[in-house]
Amino acid sequence: MSSSRDDFGIAVRSALLKKGARQKFSLVFLLIVATIIFFLDANQFKLINLTKKLINDGIYRLTNISTAPLKFLPVINDKIKETAFAIKENKKLKVELQNLKNKEFQVEFLKNQNDSLKRILESDVKIKGKSILAKVLIDKDSPYLKSIVINRGSKSGIRKGMPVVDGNYLVGKIVEVNYLSSRVLLLNDLNSRIPITFGENSIQAILSGKGESKPVLEYLPDLYEPYGNQTVFTSGKDGVFIPGIPVGKTEMDELNVKVKLFSDPNQLSFVTIQLINISKGSL
Amino acid sequence: MAILYKNLKASVVNSLPLIILYYLSISEIDTHFSNMFEILSFNLQIIIIYYWMLKNSSVLGNGHIFFVGIINDVVMGLPLGISAISYLTVSFVASYIRQVTVNISLFTDWFTFLIALFFSNLVYLILILNFSDLQISYVDMSYNAFFTFLFYPFIWVIFNFYKKIMFLRADD
Repeated sequence: MSSSRDDFGIAVRSALLKKGARQKFSLVFLLIVATIIFFLDANQFKLINLTKKLINDGIYRLTNISTAPLKFLPVINDKIKETAFAIKENKKLKVELQNLKNKEFQVEFLKNQNDSLKRILESDVKIKGKSILAKVLIDKDSPYLKSIVINRGSKSGIRKGMPVVDGNYLVGKIVEVNYLSSRVLLLNDLNSRIPITFGENSIQAILSGKGESKPVLEYLPDLYEPYGNQTVFTSGKDGVFIPGIPVGKTEMDELNVKVKLFSDPNQLSFVTIQLINISKGSL
Repeated sequence: MAILYKNLKASVVNSLPLIILYYLSISEIDTHFSNMFEILSFNLQIIIIYYWMLKNSSVLGNGHIFFVGIINDVVMGLPLGISAISYLTVSFVASYIRQVTVNISLFTDWFTFLIALFFSNLVYLILILNFSDLQISYVDMSYNAFFTFLFYPFIWVIFNFYKKIMFLRADD
């Protein structure tokens, strides 16, 4: 009994302390260093925060460069598919061309009408105010966290809590600001909570991320009878978000009211950050 | 010249697991296939660390594992140091298993990997729950651990094949 305990102790000590010929650090030393870094970061230690910001900027750029060649693979794949599709379509179109010529004037008329209607629709929901365009550097999909990294930081006037939109639709808010980059917490992240309003009676609720593609509505009124296909907007009750930014449409899912987001969080290439004044109290 | 070429080839071939480990942490390549199958995600970094620390610790080294963990935290937006501690825990279990076992087969490796995976996730969970504001989904985490465990034998076979073409010296 005592001998087996001794053996266990020797094996543990050896695993923790042995460095070997090519190992410069023992396991126990690195574990201590990692633990110290973790606790300094968890307690928002100033020096670690500053170092972290510098490391973040460097690694985000490196990540962007290292994955650049891989971004061409889907492009090449699309090009091959497009070419094959074009050859097939060309044959079909030649047959249809004769018929289409007869309808040319009618199509032109409908196209003009469609364009003008599109312009009216687009101008109706423009978000006013100062904003800045940013490129998505990293959108690494994690099973736990739903966030993206953009190429704008405090140098461009970005502050923590600023709303981020894709076109005219809300996608998330800034949660971490470095000098040249920032992290955006997406609406479907578990940690995301956004006050919203919807329906004819301006019902107030909280849009809560669940780590899935569709966030859910929480804190709905007691007597509210849920039904789907209603447009959800930011309410601005938290004093952070501009009221009236479109978010998505309601969908019924058994007992939950889910929201199908207008902007797919997995398909973001460029986003716009609303440069609004954010007081510390509202965060 | 021939010796120089042979040495260069040996160092590239021997460093490949380490290069993959760094690249997985630094790049946007991930092993989370939610687009294909919603619950499918696994942690290839943990498999790489466990396998090579068990078979030949000189291929990776604890210092590199520590840095990979730090980089992973930065890219994923996790509290700094959490992945490093989690990966070093895996490394510790692998080192301990290496000390106490003589006859190693796929099944003993697979079983002991479960212990490493358990302690790694336990440490991760304790640190996140007690010292950070982050919320995590236990279901997603369980699926991730399950698939990591499930895929270990496949990766084991690939690495075992790769080990045969490496120019390894006896483990220290």
